[in-house]
Amino acid sequence: MGLISAIGDSVNENRYSLRNERSGIGHIRFYQTAYAGKLPTAEVKHSTDELNKKIFGENGNPAITRTSLFALHAAKEAILDSGLTKEEISSADTALVGATTVGGMCLTDELYHDALAKDHGTPFLSSYDYASVTMAVQEYFGIQGEVSTINTACSSSANAILYGARLIRHGFAKRVIVGGAESLAKFTINGFNALNILSSKPCAPFDRNRSGLNLGEGAAFLVLEKEEDIRGKNKYAFLSGFGNKNDAYHPSSNSPEGDGPYLSMKEALKSAGLNAGDINYINAHGTGTENNDETESRAMLRLFEKVPPFSSTKSFTGHTLGAAGAMEAVYSILNLVHQEVYPSLSFQDPIPETGLIPVRFFAQEKILHVMSNSFGFGGNCSTLIFSKT
Amino acid sequence: MAYFHQTICISPQNSFPETDLSELRESKNNLLLVTEPAYTGIPPGIKRRMGKSVRMAVGAALPLIENSHPPDGIVMATANGGMEDCIKFLNQILEYNEGLLTPASFVQSTSNAAAAQIALVTKNHQYNITHVHRGLAFENALVDLIMLLEENPEAGYLMGCTDEISAYNYNIDRLDGWFRIEPVSNTDLFQSKSKGTIAGEGSFMAWMNNQEKGAKAKLDAVKTTHTTSPEHVLKTLNLFLSQNLSYGELPDLLMSGENGDERMSPYYDIVESHFADAIPVTRFKHLCGEYCTASSFACWLSIQILENGILPNGIMKNVAPVKPIRRILIYNNFRGEQHSFILISAIKPGDSSI
Repeated sequence: MGLISAIGDSVNENRYSLRNERSGIGHIRFYQTAYAGKLPTAEVKHSTDELNKKIFGENGNPAITRTSLFALHAAKEAILDSGLTKEEISSADTALVGATTVGGMCLTDELYHDALAKDHGTPFLSSYDYASVTMAVQEYFGIQGEVSTINTACSSSANAILYGARLIRHGFAKRVIVGGAESLAKFTINGFNALNILSSKPCAPFDRNRSGLNLGEGAAFLVLEKEEDIRGKNKYAFLSGFGNKNDAYHPSSNSPEGDGPYLSMKEALKSAGLNAGDINYINAHGTGTENNDETESRAMLRLFEKVPPFSSTKSFTGHTLGAAGAMEAVYSILNLVHQEVYPSLSFQDPIPETGLIPVRFFAQEKILHVMSNSFGFGGNCSTLIFSKT
Repeated sequence: MAYFHQTICISPQNSFPETDLSELRESKNNLLLVTEPAYTGIPPGIKRRMGKSVRMAVGAALPLIENSHPPDGIVMATANGGMEDCIKFLNQILEYNEGLLTPASFVQSTSNAAAAQIALVTKNHQYNITHVHRGLAFENALVDLIMLLEENPEAGYLMGCTDEISAYNYNIDRLDGWFRIEPVSNTDLFQSKSKGTIAGEGSFMAWMNNQEKGAKAKLDAVKTTHTTSPEHVLKTLNLFLSQNLSYGELPDLLMSGENGDERMSPYYDIVESHFADAIPVTRFKHLCGEYCTASSFACWLSIQILENGILPNGIMKNVAPVKPIRRILIYNNFRGEQHSFILISAIKPGDSSI
């Protein structure tokens, strides 16, 4: 596993912040936007130059974007941690599935220039699309197998994980590197702001007075292999089930009863062969918006006789959109490996209509199965279930 | 097993609502733009808000769903999604210096908007995904379909792709050197080799299941790879053929993604010369132009040829075929980096008329 976010440059640093309730949400330092100082975000604490030099050396790579640098940073950690050999990495049966919603469009001003310029394009001409992020990873590691990039808005990297697992199951790959990357962008800051769902305070998932989400950035990658191929390597958890369903209600909000969330959680249980009562903990989508937290709560109440302990790590990392599913998959796996749960920050009072109270303090718990939810615009809802090996 | 049933292709040629490829529609200013149909199936209120790429996808999808039970999943491919809406929103951001903006273009520009709109209009809660891997997005959607049909053999799926030319992405790709500087007509695309090609766009949608009965064609296999080496492409081709054809067996036709860009010739040449004139070669980019999901047009054209046994005028590169065409190999590459092989075969004689 590999991870970079506002709360740390590695899986271990992220875990340290989660255990110690250190949120990464704060003022924007690096990204140039009119909303700096007004809207809190969860920014990765490194400049793009710094990240570039760290990966590509003193001269850096002139055509690489911040999103791709996050992806490379996290994929490097994941690949190193996985113990894959050089031969395995570049073998034809190693696949790569990436995810992002903003891709290289973090370079809003350069994109605007190149879209209209008569001549003299910037060095980023082939770095704006979504695929550029996955292709940076593909090129860097020389991946030869199946490569895909998925964009289903905020559930993108949850889908990258389930698509990668299916590639292994169907023999299209022996091992897959899966994940997602996202960076702050004028495009998303202004888009979400126009929808009135950005909070001017640190987000308060599942709180009755929640006032919206905070955008975040970062990347997470994971290496998946079949049980029988894993001998001698680090083995953290088993991806036991997944569901992908559509809410089919509205382009940018969930149906009142959370049909899509309910169906994707139900499908994930079915594919894992588990009952609702088997789930010990839920890493909720929990963005902190009025619509998501209430509808997700309703969906949980529909599915679970007794809703298991749950929380939203977005109160630490902000909503990292296309990277969120993969980042929260890593956190879910940490829940299993260390038998611990991380709190939801900034929660005070439950939503009156649903009455659900998230986990509020770090705690050691016995956990066998963790559910992780990711719901996106366009009704794209996905749920992953990880189990203790 | 994955079979193509009903298909619709909205392209720069006469492909929908009626299909008539006897006359070639010519490009203008190095662009092959689609002539959009009336889209009578899309509710007008919704249609007004749609960008072209979403409109083309939904417009091609709805007629396929009308005549069938609801699909068990919607699998879309698009490299860029709604590029026009995306830059429209960007314009607003910069023009109003990140002031008060309307979210419509933002929501429309997300690349999952097409699959989402189809689900929304038809109230479909099933599997829903959008592959966006540039020149291989469509191939990835096909791989997804092969897996879905193995997982759920009883199911039927809606699969397709859409990509539009916007003034903006055309300009970015032009600056990057992917389009001809000099004006060239699609009728002369292959005679006048130099750097760059002409731009195209379109959508393709297919109803797919694992039933041979009533199918138009069978999807045998798909293989993709990333490389800049022609030798590696050849190696991949050999592996692909050995895995999917019996020893000594050849496809009846090679459909080559040549686009008149001389920098791509080494890849197309090595694949073509592998068959050393043993099979006829056709081309298709003069019909649809170059775009990320252009191999979907080749897929549609192959299905037409396999179903009807007729080769449209002006697509043969070399000798005319002497034997009936039962199996087509499509080789496409995108900008010399992303390569794909797709093998499609005809339904056994007699079966298609049941």
